Amino acid sequence: MVHKNYIKGNEIVVFADTSLFSKDSIFKCLYWYGDKFHTNVSFADINTYQILISPQSDTKIKLDELELYLQKLERDLIDFNLRDIVTKETQNVRDLLIAKAFSNGEFDEKPIGDVSDPVGFYVNDVNNDRN
Amino acid sequence: MIGTKPDKKTRKFQELDFFNQSETNYYFLLPFRFHRLNQEKEILVNEVGDFLVVPNGTAQNVITRRISKQDNPDLFGDLVANFFITEESKIPQLIDVYATRYRTKKSFLDSFTTLHLFVVSLRCEHTCHYCQVSRVTQDRDKFDMPQKYIDKGIDFMLNSPSPHVTMEFQGGEALLAFDNIVYAVERTKKLADGKGKFVTYVICTNLAVVNEEILHYCKENNILISTSLDGPASVHNENRRRPGRNSYELAIAGIELSRKILGQDKVSALMTTTNLSLDYPKEIVDEYYKLGFRHIFLRPISPYGFAVKNEAKNKYDTDKFLEFYKKALNHILEYNYRGDFYSEDFATILLRKILTPFPVGYVDLNSPSGAITNAIVFNYDGHIYASDESRMLAEMKDFQFQLGHFDTHTYEQIFYGNKAKQISEVMTNESLTGCSECAFQSFCGSDPIHNHATQGNMWGYRPTSTFCQKNMEIIRYLIDLMDSDFRIKQIFESWIKPRN
Repeated sequence: MVHKNYIKGNEIVVFADTSLFSKDSIFKCLYWYGDKFHTNVSFADINTYQILISPQSDTKIKLDELELYLQKLERDLIDFNLRDIVTKETQNVRDLLIAKAFSNGEFDEKPIGDVSDPVGFYVNDVNNDRN
Repeated sequence: MIGTKPDKKTRKFQELDFFNQSETNYYFLLPFRFHRLNQEKEILVNEVGDFLVVPNGTAQNVITRRISKQDNPDLFGDLVANFFITEESKIPQLIDVYATRYRTKKSFLDSFTTLHLFVVSLRCEHTCHYCQVSRVTQDRDKFDMPQKYIDKGIDFMLNSPSPHVTMEFQGGEALLAFDNIVYAVERTKKLADGKGKFVTYVICTNLAVVNEEILHYCKENNILISTSLDGPASVHNENRRRPGRNSYELAIAGIELSRKILGQDKVSALMTTTNLSLDYPKEIVDEYYKLGFRHIFLRPISPYGFAVKNEAKNKYDTDKFLEFYKKALNHILEYNYRGDFYSEDFATILLRKILTPFPVGYVDLNSPSGAITNAIVFNYDGHIYASDESRMLAEMKDFQFQLGHFDTHTYEQIFYGNKAKQISEVMTNESLTGCSECAFQSFCGSDPIHNHATQGNMWGYRPTSTFCQKNMEIIRYLIDLMDSDFRIKQIFESWIKPRN
């Protein structure tokens, strides 16, 4: 079933496919709406998150601004899902990077390539020439 | 005679073919973050703060593997060269180089605490409406730092692992207790050499009571003067009240005398932005220029403690400060367009973080936070605080960041004790909600004291955080300016170059 995002009264309702959007990304996205909106996440069906936000009573959001917030929420959900992909795919590299950065050299590997003099001549070749 | 060149071993750069061996278009992602700068462009930032400003949608294309070496050769090359993606394996071949760069960015931690603030007296003859001190002028015994605590503070300072420490004298008005300063400097001079320490001395003063004798002592001991100047007389005298309403006149006379005796470069000034200041961005910038300063620090008022007790005068929205800041910054840039060097200090700190591989030892923009790890405050009464703002809170009876007391705590108990450990849990923005995936993480910092004071807990809540709102917008604005006008990029680069 295809769900379409909509605004009803002062509520913005957005749907996200569970196979495309991670739960983490949705919560990280909604975190940034907590200053102005009440937020709620539930399942519309087994394959779909239903995300509902509505302005808090003390905010000055006008009803005609909700369309902009809908657009922003849709865009932010995609951005936070992309960020989540990077975070999860690169977690091990980040851990390794930080472990190496704060180690005392015990994790360092020998750099690729041959040792040369500063202008790029191979040291061994130069020594052989001298002989 | 021609000398023998020393045997300096290096490694050759590999040719492009060495790295360009992958025949497939597949690549692996490396850690990076992104943020939309404006309607057209976004910024990608890697783990060490290298960045690319690219058209909106690029991050999505990179992450969903919609770019290729063939179709996007320049972008692909930039992404590989700047550790955003890697072709050969999940771990880049140059990870050790990358790790060294990460270590360099965090090298401010190597030396641990460098800035030691000694509140030599709480007495002051000013009654500034944003200041936390008690405005006491009579009781020396009660409000001056006893010598036994000065001794302890010096011992703590010389115990720092850092070979280079700064001893900053604060008040109240520090010069009202000049005898304390002399005592502290003389004792430190005797002990510092034996400990292998190089000590920089700074006196923070409003200069109202400065005289030639004091300044000659400062000259003999290479002591720097840091004073307060909030702008033209109409702003300064309104902010900084004293009997006679002549704070500005005394500050100007003090600056002139200090420069005459110590030299132009030994005297700096700081301004604080109050509600009144918000209406005078250009006038404040012009005032600093007129007085011969070639840099200015546009500082917002700390939005807590004593400063907001006088809410009408000192509490303002961050939006208003940002508007003030941008107007002032653009006015400073106009001086630069005309060929004058004139920089803004907060921007300069951020630009060093954005444009260089090195860290900046600025307490408020470090991760881990600079409180304790960079700076410590020894109060006149022997109490020790994590930062100057912590002392401000204590004056309001909030002792959350009081680390201990000279009479009861050792160096280790202060710097590595339970309180320090508790604060250190929230000192890294890498692990804070909202910051962990922020593109500006490596340019920004963590401020648990600000969070506690403004939001009720040390973790803070980024969507309503004035710290976050201010820093994110200024960082975005600076990058946007550089990207939109090459002339501004060149000016900003001139600000971060070392100057004699």
